Formats: sequence, C-alpha cells, structure tokens
Amino acid sequence: MLLEVKDIHISYGDIQAICGVSFCLERGELVSIIGANGAGKTSILNSVMGIFPPQKGAIYFKGQDITTMPVHQRARIGIRIVPERSRVFPRLTVYENLMTGVYGLKNKLPIDERVSWLYEVFPILKERHNQIGSTLSGGEQQQLSIARALISDPELLLVDEVSMGLMPKLVEQVFGVLEQLNRGHGLTILLVEQNAFASLNISARGYVLETGTCVLHGDAKELMDNPRVKEVYLGH
Amino acid sequence: MRLFIEQLLNGIAMGSIYALVTLGLALVYGIMRILHVAHAAVFTIGAYAGLFLFQLTGSLIVAFLGSMACCALLGVMIERFVYFPLMKYPPYVPLIGSIAVMLSIEEVCRLVAGPYILTFPAKLPFPDVYLGGIQISSTLIAVYSITAAVLLVLWYITTHTELGLAMRATSQDISISGAMGINSHVIITLTFVMGSAIAAIAGMLVGIYYNQVYPTMGTVPAYKTLALIVVGGLGSVPGAVIASMLLGTAETLLIGYANIPLPRDALAFIAMIGVLMWRSEGLLGSSR
Repeated sequence: MLLEVKDIHISYGDIQAICGVSFCLERGELVSIIGANGAGKTSILNSVMGIFPPQKGAIYFKGQDITTMPVHQRARIGIRIVPERSRVFPRLTVYENLMTGVYGLKNKLPIDERVSWLYEVFPILKERHNQIGSTLSGGEQQQLSIARALISDPELLLVDEVSMGLMPKLVEQVFGVLEQLNRGHGLTILLVEQNAFASLNISARGYVLETGTCVLHGDAKELMDNPRVKEVYLGH
Repeated sequence: MRLFIEQLLNGIAMGSIYALVTLGLALVYGIMRILHVAHAAVFTIGAYAGLFLFQLTGSLIVAFLGSMACCALLGVMIERFVYFPLMKYPPYVPLIGSIAVMLSIEEVCRLVAGPYILTFPAKLPFPDVYLGGIQISSTLIAVYSITAAVLLVLWYITTHTELGLAMRATSQDISISGAMGINSHVIITLTFVMGSAIAAIAGMLVGIYYNQVYPTMGTVPAYKTLALIVVGGLGSVPGAVIASMLLGTAETLLIGYANIPLPRDALAFIAMIGVLMWRSEGLLGSSR
C-alpha cells in the first residue's frame, strides 16, 4: 500500500473540519474524494502533504509513519501537491516555478529531460517559458502548477480542486492529462474535487465526504450509480 | 559645480549606507512579514564588535569578518528566540518584541562599553583619489566599493543560485515552497544570517565614516529604514536600494542647497508620505 490514512481528526480552533476519516491508496491507483464546499476535502490533502498535520490519527506512506514529518521532507520522499487555485509563485518565471519543484534534487534527476517532457505535455508553458507566474491565465497557471508538481517525478500526486475556475474545455483537457499520467505512467493520484462526474469518471475508487466524515466509499462506477451520489453530486 | 559634485558624492555614500542597513530589513520583511526594528541594534553591535576586534587585532579585515560573524549569530538568535515563538500571534506582537530587543541591546552596549562616543581610528589601506580637482576620500571609496560588492553578491545569490530561488519562492508563498521541498526554517535562518552580516558591514562603515560608535547610533536608522522599506515597496529588495540611494542623495543635496527649516531626518518621512499618496504599494512593491 502506498498511502494509508487512519482515523485522522483536524480542527481549526473550535471548528472540527475532519472527524475520524480513514482511507488508503494502492500504488498506481487514481482515487477521488468528492464532497461539497466545506466538507473538509482540502484539509485532508493538506494533512497528507503536511501543510496542516492532523491533531489525531496517523498517516503512513510506503509503510512509514509520516504523521509528524515536516512538509519539505514529505515533498522529498515523493509526495507532491497541486494546490487549490494553483498557487504558482507569482513573481517567478514559468521556468523558475518549475525549478522550485526540483529544489534539492538537481543532482538526482535529469532536469532537462523532465522539462522537455513537461513542455511536450503542456506546450503553452514552453511558449510562456520566461513569463512571470502572475501574468498567466487561470488555465495556464493550473497547468504550471501540475507541471511544477510533476517535475520531481513524484510517487504520489495530490490534486486539489483542479477544475475550479477553469472553462469546461480546459477541465476536460486537465482531467485528460491526469488520466494519461495515471494510466500511461502509473502515477498514483489522490484527487479532491467538487466536480464529481469528471473526477469519478477517471478514478478507480472514490470516497464521499460530508461535513468532515466519510459517508460513502467504493468503486467509482458504483458510486456514480449510487442514488444518493446521483442526486447530491451528479445532479440527476 | 565642484561643491555640487562633492555633495553628490557624499549623498551617494549616505545612500549606500542606508541601502546596506535597509537591505536586511527588506529581506526579513519579504520572508517573514515582520518589521524587524531590532535590525538597527544588530547594526550597532556590528559597529562595536568591529571596533573591539580592530583594537584587538589592528586588522580591518579581521574586524569586518568577525563583526559579520557576530551579527549573523545575533540575528539568528533574535529569529529563533524572539520571532519564532511570537509568529503565531498578530504582527504587532513580534513588532513589540523587536522594539524590546532593540532597546535591550542598546542598554547592553551602554553597560558594556559605556554611554560615551568611542572613536574608530581605522586607517584604510589605500589613499584618497583626486579626479578633476575633486578629492574622493578613501572612506568614500570604501563605502562605494563595499556597497557595490555586497549588492553584486546579493544579486548573484538571489538570481543565479538555488538558495536564491528558494528565498524568492519562500517570500512569495511559504507553505507552498515547503510543499516543493524547501525547508523554510533553514531559508529564514539564512536570510537572517545574510541580513545581519550586511548590517554589521553597515555599522562598521558608519563607525569609520563618522569616526564615532555609540549605544544609540541605531536609533535614527531604526525608524528611517522603516520609512525606506515602505517607500521602496514592502519586501522589495531592489525597491529598498533605490529608495535608500534617492533619499541619501536628496537629503545631502537639499540640506546643502535649500534652506529647509526641517531636520534632515524628517525628509525620509515626507518622502514616505508623498510616495504612499502617489503609489500606495511603494516604488517597486506589488499589491497583495
């Protein structure tokens, strides 16, 4: 098992965001966590990344307990995140943004090869090579954010609300890239989304989160057929 | 004309010294969003440490290096023992802590070295230069060349090294830089090391330039550099350098030529109010 999250609890002051959530990911899986706004999806990703660790519970990556491991060390052992609203570094160029993704790994990775591959996957980034992050459009920033997370060749990619604020055509394109990375390159992806249809459509399994607890989980196709999921998240 | 050039040269020297002190403040604000008022006290310690080491060894190089090391250590201690524990509170709490540190260091200087003005009798190892009948003192040459070297090294580090990239990324989004594998604690510590070592250089240069070292020599720089980082654009290092150079030159020329009934130090705040009315984010700041 690549990632195992056991009974985590997260609160911000008096507000309980996550209450006893557990889930797991096998290597090479693409798993979705769906839920409404405020259900606690981002809190889960931030706790796995180490940006906001859980107050209770445990997180294991490749069998190692990483619950208290600092965020930068988690990044170096192969966990990367595409954060909500992309959060590219606004005053760094596209290339410099990519280079932050290989900080401390320059001698261990064929950087030029990785950059060339990413420029093939996201051709617009090649065109914008020397442009600073804040001048890119929302879709371009999202692509840069994904590329920045991928450049270090991670073992686990955490993707937070990648469809937010994107045009439907771009959403399709971005989900296509994620599916390709999972199926073609075997990359393990944990996808957190409000766009339940798009995310479950490319996932093997899914978890449904409501007010900080996991209310449903199972095979993605079964979840898409579930009447409750259909009614609440798929609008049928 | 000759008087004008001499005043201009003095103004540039003054601006260079302001730039060296303001740099550390801009670096720290850029990365931690803290108004590091105690930086002015680090500058004072730089002057004292340099003077004592110079008296002890007679070598300016040893004095400069020793003073830089001493201030780098002091900067790291301030970060670890004052700012780090106070970071979880609203920004005015570390600011009050910073003011407390500055006043404490001033008192320590007064207790250890006495309340008197000490002289810094350093003789620079190169002569004055005469250009077209204008004398450029060796002290001025030292101020220009050291400032240029510091700016060049800092520019190279921030734009051409992995550390510089990490510093810029951390200053723009500290939690996401962590998620990229950047250890923000190490980056913050190194920022304090660099800023404090530069403050030590500034302290020594001021001591040599005015031939004076005294416990409250950081008081005026403390508030003037705050005005300068606001004028330059909070957190913008190039903005801080430009604002410092403009202020140093303007102060010297205005005092020399215009009969302004205001104290010299008020000019920084008049400039700050003027710039903020015209451009609220400062000269090179970005609106966040």
